[in-house]
Amino acid sequence: MLEVDALSTGYLGEDVIHDIEFRVDDGEAVAIIGSNGAGKTTLFRALCGILPVSGGSIRFADREVTGLPTHRLARAGLAYVPAERHLFPQMTVGENLALGSYPERPDTRVLSMVWSLFPRLAERSRQQAGTMSGGEQQMLAVGRALMSKPRLLMLDEPTTGLAPKLAADAYTALGELRAQGLTLLVTEQQLPLALDLADRGYVLANGRFELEGTCAELEANPEVRRAYLGVA
Amino acid sequence: MTAVILDGLVLGLQFGLLGVGMTLVYGLGGVLNLAHGQIAVFGAIVTSLAMTSGARAFWAALIGVAFAGLVGLLLDRTLMRPVYRREGEERVLLGLLLTLGVGFVIEGLLVWRYPIQQLSLNIGGSAVEILGVRMRTGSLLASVISVAVAVVLVLFFRYTSLGKAVRSVIQDEVGARLVGVNPNAVRSLIFFVSAALAGLVAVTRSMTSPILVTAGVNLTILALIVTVVGGLGSVSGAFLAGLLLGVVHTVSSFLIGSYITTIVLLAAAALTIVLRPAGLLGRPG
Repeated sequence: MLEVDALSTGYLGEDVIHDIEFRVDDGEAVAIIGSNGAGKTTLFRALCGILPVSGGSIRFADREVTGLPTHRLARAGLAYVPAERHLFPQMTVGENLALGSYPERPDTRVLSMVWSLFPRLAERSRQQAGTMSGGEQQMLAVGRALMSKPRLLMLDEPTTGLAPKLAADAYTALGELRAQGLTLLVTEQQLPLALDLADRGYVLANGRFELEGTCAELEANPEVRRAYLGVA
Repeated sequence: MTAVILDGLVLGLQFGLLGVGMTLVYGLGGVLNLAHGQIAVFGAIVTSLAMTSGARAFWAALIGVAFAGLVGLLLDRTLMRPVYRREGEERVLLGLLLTLGVGFVIEGLLVWRYPIQQLSLNIGGSAVEILGVRMRTGSLLASVISVAVAVVLVLFFRYTSLGKAVRSVIQDEVGARLVGVNPNAVRSLIFFVSAALAGLVAVTRSMTSPILVTAGVNLTILALIVTVVGGLGSVSGAFLAGLLLGVVHTVSSFLIGSYITTIVLLAAAALTIVLRPAGLLGRPG
């Protein structure tokens, strides 16, 4: 689904991400773990074409996509839910979702799937997105991404700013999507949730992958336990 | 007095259309197009030339509006490209300087080639009575066209997926790109529409008073005032501000005289900025 080779990127000519290599297979869920400032968001911004890459290549769905503009990648089935969500604040929940499928008309089956995944959104379909709580906005951001019937859903710290209960709910929803066969790539600082969801994980620090392995391996790794799970 | 206010509303509709074009381009790309009025005059002069060479008024106007739109499109595709590549204040400043220059160039060329050309569409027919007020056919036609275009614009933005895509870029450009909207294509479209609207306003204005080749700067300033009073980037704000300022314009020229009217308009704009820095319907911040 996604193959990244020797990818480097950064801001103003200074690389933040160095020589990263990884892959996500069809139907897999992969977690990228790292603390604040490790480069998770930068990596995702480069993958979806918001940030130009300074080296390396990205292949998506068996196509070379390095340097392709964001809207073309989105139409090709790569959906990205940024941590800042980037919703359309003065539009209703319904309008935000409808735009998710742009330029196609919204698919009613996908829409009812989103409604049943997040009943809260159905209740608030006429509310302005900007007036909703953080948790609801996160649901809407995921819902909007799903409307494009993506082949790969990338989520950058989907639990940022959410209370523990809401964070757990968010991962329950992601688990359901996974069960439906959607390929997922998630970055996270909150390890237990991400490791429960994913098959494999990579640990990102200072713009490089330090560790990789199955989630069970990562969970058992003393470094990971100390740094991310708060276990002494 | 009813007649004066009605006149003001007719004028205000056209101010509104002039302002909407400017506010949309600003909302989408951060460019305050200071050549807006000169593009309008360009459309008017093309219309007038087309009529001189024998075209019927309707077709001539259509050609003029289309040419105005094409100037906008050309501007977006060429000179504005480096502007969009910059961010924040730098983008706004470069946009202001470039469009100011373009305005001078357009007006300079027109004055050089067609110094005495002007557009004045005399719509014949007798006056019509509306709300107990006699209205000239010219101003009636101008308002019918303006209302129709305004309604089409509102419907376009509210109900079509392309219209929603335009709003999405205004509200969150990154979000728009993530759902598959190409902001460059949207900007080109809106630059075209904005410039065509400017041309249309020049054509409808010429139904009540002639558009001279040097009218550009005044129209630009009018559009600026409407845009700022309505709130930068707000479509409904621009319409509201247009109507208000249209009434202020005619009432003050009726009571005080047209010479002072520009000062009254600028004072009204200054007052709005003091009371509501983001404009009537603009969003603070």
